[in-house]
Amino acid sequence: MNLDSIKSAIDWLSAPTISFTILTVIFPFLFPPSDWFEKVHRKFGLWRTWTKPGGMIGMVLITAFFVIGYFDPYFNKTLTKADNFPIVLMIYSMWFLIWLGMYKAYRNDARIEQGLKPEEYNDPDDKVLVWPDLVYIEFIALILFQVFLIVWSILVAAPIEEPANPAATPNPSKAPWYFLGLQEMLVYYDPWIAGVLLPTFIIVGMMAIPYMDINKKGDGYYSFKERRVGMFIFMYGWVVLWLFLIVIGTFFRGPNWNFFGPFEYWDLHKVEALTNVNLSEILWVKFLNQGLPTNIFVRESVGFLVTGLYLFVLPVILAKTVLKDMYKAYGPTRFVSIMTLGLVMLALPIKMYLRWVFNLKYIVSIPEWFFNI
Amino acid sequence: MFKNDERYWDINLLNKWFAISSIVFLATMVWTFIDDNDDEFKDYQREFRKLQISITEEKLNVEIEDVEGKTDKYDELLSKAQIEYDNQSSLINSINDELGILRAGFYKVNLKFAEEKAKLDVFKFKLENANTKSVEKASDIKKVYEEKTSDFNIIKLEKEDFEIKISKKEKRLKGLKTSMKNIQDEKDVILKKVNLSKNKLEIIDRSKMSFMNKLGDIVRDLPILDFMSPYYKVHQTVVKDIHYDVNFAAMPAVDRCTSCHLGIANPDFVDAEQPFTTHPDLDLYLTSKSPHPEESFGCTSCHSGRSRGTSFISSAHTPNNPEQMKDWKEKYHWKPVKHWLQPMLPTRYTQASCFKCHQNTSDLAGAEKINLGLTLIDRSGCNGCHVSGNWKSSGKSGPDLRKLNEKSHPDWVSKWIKNPRSFRYNTRMPHIFEQANQEKPNIAKRNITEIASITHYLFENKTVKRPNNPSKYLGDPSNGETLFSAVGCMGCHVKEQEPSQAPSPTTFKELTKLQGPNLIGMGSKVSPEWLFNWLKKPHEYMESTRMPDLRLSDSDARDITAYLYDNKNYDFDQLDPPVADDEVLDELTLDWLMKMNPEKYAREKASKMSKNDKLSFIGEKSIRHYGCYGCHNIDGFMDAKPIGVEITQEGSKPVDKFDFGLYHDIPHTIHDWIENKLRTPRIYDRGKESEPLDLLRMPNFHFTEQEIEAVTMAVLSFNTDKVGEPLLAHNNVPEENKEGHRLVKKYNCQGCHLIENRGGQLVESIGAPEYGPPNLNSQGRKTNPNWLIKFFNNPMTVRPNLQVRMPSFHQINDKEWDTIIKYFQSIDNENTGYRAPHQFVKGSTKYNAGDKIHELGACNNCHFYGETFPIQTASTWAPNLALTKERLNPEWVIDWMRAPGEIMPGTKMPAPYLPTPDVLETDDAIDIWGRDLVKLKGNQDAMLEGLRDYMWDIQGKTDISDEIKAYFDENGYDFTSGEDDEDDEDEWDDEDW
Repeated sequence: MNLDSIKSAIDWLSAPTISFTILTVIFPFLFPPSDWFEKVHRKFGLWRTWTKPGGMIGMVLITAFFVIGYFDPYFNKTLTKADNFPIVLMIYSMWFLIWLGMYKAYRNDARIEQGLKPEEYNDPDDKVLVWPDLVYIEFIALILFQVFLIVWSILVAAPIEEPANPAATPNPSKAPWYFLGLQEMLVYYDPWIAGVLLPTFIIVGMMAIPYMDINKKGDGYYSFKERRVGMFIFMYGWVVLWLFLIVIGTFFRGPNWNFFGPFEYWDLHKVEALTNVNLSEILWVKFLNQGLPTNIFVRESVGFLVTGLYLFVLPVILAKTVLKDMYKAYGPTRFVSIMTLGLVMLALPIKMYLRWVFNLKYIVSIPEWFFNI
Repeated sequence: MFKNDERYWDINLLNKWFAISSIVFLATMVWTFIDDNDDEFKDYQREFRKLQISITEEKLNVEIEDVEGKTDKYDELLSKAQIEYDNQSSLINSINDELGILRAGFYKVNLKFAEEKAKLDVFKFKLENANTKSVEKASDIKKVYEEKTSDFNIIKLEKEDFEIKISKKEKRLKGLKTSMKNIQDEKDVILKKVNLSKNKLEIIDRSKMSFMNKLGDIVRDLPILDFMSPYYKVHQTVVKDIHYDVNFAAMPAVDRCTSCHLGIANPDFVDAEQPFTTHPDLDLYLTSKSPHPEESFGCTSCHSGRSRGTSFISSAHTPNNPEQMKDWKEKYHWKPVKHWLQPMLPTRYTQASCFKCHQNTSDLAGAEKINLGLTLIDRSGCNGCHVSGNWKSSGKSGPDLRKLNEKSHPDWVSKWIKNPRSFRYNTRMPHIFEQANQEKPNIAKRNITEIASITHYLFENKTVKRPNNPSKYLGDPSNGETLFSAVGCMGCHVKEQEPSQAPSPTTFKELTKLQGPNLIGMGSKVSPEWLFNWLKKPHEYMESTRMPDLRLSDSDARDITAYLYDNKNYDFDQLDPPVADDEVLDELTLDWLMKMNPEKYAREKASKMSKNDKLSFIGEKSIRHYGCYGCHNIDGFMDAKPIGVEITQEGSKPVDKFDFGLYHDIPHTIHDWIENKLRTPRIYDRGKESEPLDLLRMPNFHFTEQEIEAVTMAVLSFNTDKVGEPLLAHNNVPEENKEGHRLVKKYNCQGCHLIENRGGQLVESIGAPEYGPPNLNSQGRKTNPNWLIKFFNNPMTVRPNLQVRMPSFHQINDKEWDTIIKYFQSIDNENTGYRAPHQFVKGSTKYNAGDKIHELGACNNCHFYGETFPIQTASTWAPNLALTKERLNPEWVIDWMRAPGEIMPGTKMPAPYLPTPDVLETDDAIDIWGRDLVKLKGNQDAMLEGLRDYMWDIQGKTDISDEIKAYFDENGYDFTSGEDDEDDEDEWDDEDW
């Protein structure tokens, strides 16, 4: 297997449809939310990811990818852009911090299983006083971070582009790196959802976490097992629906917002077949073989119905069936809030798959009022 | 409780970390300073300083050598004067003592004066204040005020007394030093240059500085302190009339180029390496005396680039060729500046910037390349397909095809369309077919049928004229050849069989020979009848033709017809004309119909069409598709829209708006795109799978590399750059100047005449300037517009011995003539439109003096006086003086007579002899020169005015064309041989004034 075939394999794997699916499928096996997943997790040795060798291998793989990328004429262009430097840092730091958290959590889980207390209870070295220890350490960290920022600013010039011209926008037009996840969402949702509603829900949702959390365990120390469902959901939202979308937006989106593998040339002429249809068109035109009804509400009735079912009926059904216990434990207010936030989060991957599988454009499509879901 | 020494962490370890991080932090701060002060331009400035020192030292040595020995005399005198001065020391000392006492006294009284003055002013204010309120109170204050004023006056007098005394003493002292000072001054005059160089060295050469200055020289460039007066600093020119457009605002250009190009305006650095070398043309640029001083034009107005950049890369240099790029990459690690929209123009395209301010002309002195480019754009008919708002075409560049049936045979036409160069190797008709993207067999087949259809369309419903009694129109070819080169055909045409001998269209002058086609193979192309009629009355065949009427006699026309008709192109005659293939024709018809109809209808329609229908349908579509009407008038296409992209702002179009095709081997710059497009017009179709009708259509003009560069330059100059009003060239603004210039170009006036110092190749081929068409320098000032427009409409003989003649341009209307006249006037800054007859007093002193000069000058040796022929032979004949008052402007005549050779180099007209004052003071002056001339006391202006006034009074017939024609019909033009020329010159030399 030579380097080129590895590269084209990586290119192929990086396509959002494939990489997103792989990540989504693998995710519960890396962060097992239930006993069954846990069993598989143990059986296939995936737990080794969260050991020291696992962490090292992760680092080595990331580094190998960047090294190969650096010597690739096309990926080099994206990789060495001053704008993209933070993403490289982000990938390293995110891997390290997630690994560290999981590593510590697994050690504690093992201790708890043996009936011991978590490490944090026994390690006097881990204790600090706010004054002078913590403040002093923070101060030193501040200085070193300052050093890092100064050196960065000396070595890498600010990535300034040509004067903004409304008549000639750059292609691709990319948001600042931290917004590239949002920009990726714009592919699947209308601006008012992807740009306003979802960010609001993210912020509100994160603020709400302490109030939603009634699990008394796992407090003040690292632990995965004691709050595995919560961790799984959060990590999926954070890593797959946010960080991964940023990486896609940065490295894999080229001219015309087309997808390009990391080692592919950003060819302006690349064409992708994008013939998306709305849910109303699928219903009226494809299934019922008739034109679209003129009345907007009749036309979009099925879209409204589906959305209503998803957001309002589904939680009730869940409360009565699968999540009966949860409903009992959390009470109606908490349950409804968690459901709303959770379903909205879940709506993103759902819409992505609907797009990829059925070419679905909008569930509710009322361009007359600029209202699309 | 709270234990102060409670610790969980090792404080010493934290202290160590704190120390380490602080030191690292300090190091980065130092690095920041270094990085901030380590500018590339400073390295260049240091290097330049060294260079400057060595050049100044060299200069100083030369200057010292120059003055060596010249100052000894003064040194001697100086020492003598010093001794004298020293001898008077006791006197000087006593004066100095007295001065000291006086100055002390003055100091005291002056203090008092100031004090009293202030007090007085207070009273004055009080008094004025009281004046407005109460008269009584005012009178009291006034009394006090007056008293104070008189006191004050006493002090004033005292003060002035001191001043007088002091100045007397000072004068005396100065007087004692005078002789010494005078000698020193004289010495300094000689040493001026040496001292200047010495002073300069003291400023730049640290080793020549005093210790304190050395210290200062170091301190002034230290970080932070360098805000005051650093030696190494950014040199910048803010050019307020040149703006860089940032879309929402326009920023004045701030040119910092001279931060590194330090010797650019200094002639001392001609031999220095880049970036210090002197600009190659300081007469035209940069210096304050030049028309483009640096402070108003800066650098980037011409060169473009990033004006604020102070390093090689950040100023957006653009290499001129791949070798230079390689060189720069090695030397400067050069790379293009991304996102900067106006990178520097490669040096070969700098002239593109001239057009920003000189938009009205393609005759700009010193800008030959862009002149050629603009001219080629006109000639090649680029505007037929590509509209350019800044350089509009006047008329179509190819012939009118509406009466093609009278002129040519369909077979000839189709062969011609297929490959024009197979008939005429240097035709301007571009190749539309047989191009790079048409090589696939199916495309080539379609092209053949398209050509046949186009031909069919052009001849549809027209009868082809059969040759009719050819011998009736054919005269003597050898006389035709003589006439061809004598009457002026060669102002616009050549007849050159041999490609290597043909005029190369790479200089403007050569290009004027190709205004009309190279007249080879005419026997294969047209009939004698058509050719004869065409020569006689070109505008009757084609109203819009640029070919003028040379007023040929029937026999002359027959001779020239015979000469041209004699030449046939047998190779071309043998080619098979393209024939439409039925199957391909069907395919084409269907393709075109399907563009407008669904396939089903298209098939139905096609099935109803006969072959003829299809031919004319495809003919019409193909003409529209290939844009033939961009250059030719064709029936049915008179209002058709051009098919190409508008190029008014092509030079400013963002690079990513250019389609470089699927290959990546062409650098992504605008000029590279245009160059390649011109070289291989279909190049950007490489690798594309386009439908036949979607292929690129730009035809191939077979431009040479030089032409490609020139045209690219012109296209680059069509941009959105705007310059401030004050920078525009003086004749840039009025649209009619530009229009006039375009007309002059359109009708190729410069083929025969020199205009704006360019053109006039016919004069050269005739050999002697006096027998060629006149140069038109100063034409705007020279002729009376009223006469000129009459002359244009109906040319008469002005220069009696010229065989070449001003043709009649029936196709130019009065409005256009007027524009041309205004254009001539604008070149000369002349703006008089209407003129009253020149007034003069007959019999005045001036007039009589003029009469005398005229008599002595023997003007009638050469000049006609109405129908009176000159005394000398035809070889020296000169214009009819009876015509002068109608034709010429009185001011110009004065300038002309003062120095004819300056206005018209090579003229046989001598300046009339004007007696000087001393000649007029001799005793027998009145006898020789006459009373009136003597009265003028050598006032040459008055003499010339008198001569002119006399000339204005010469009566006689103004239009003597018939008389002259009759003379030459009888005697012929044989005098124009070389021998006669020499005789003529002798004659003038021998002339005894």
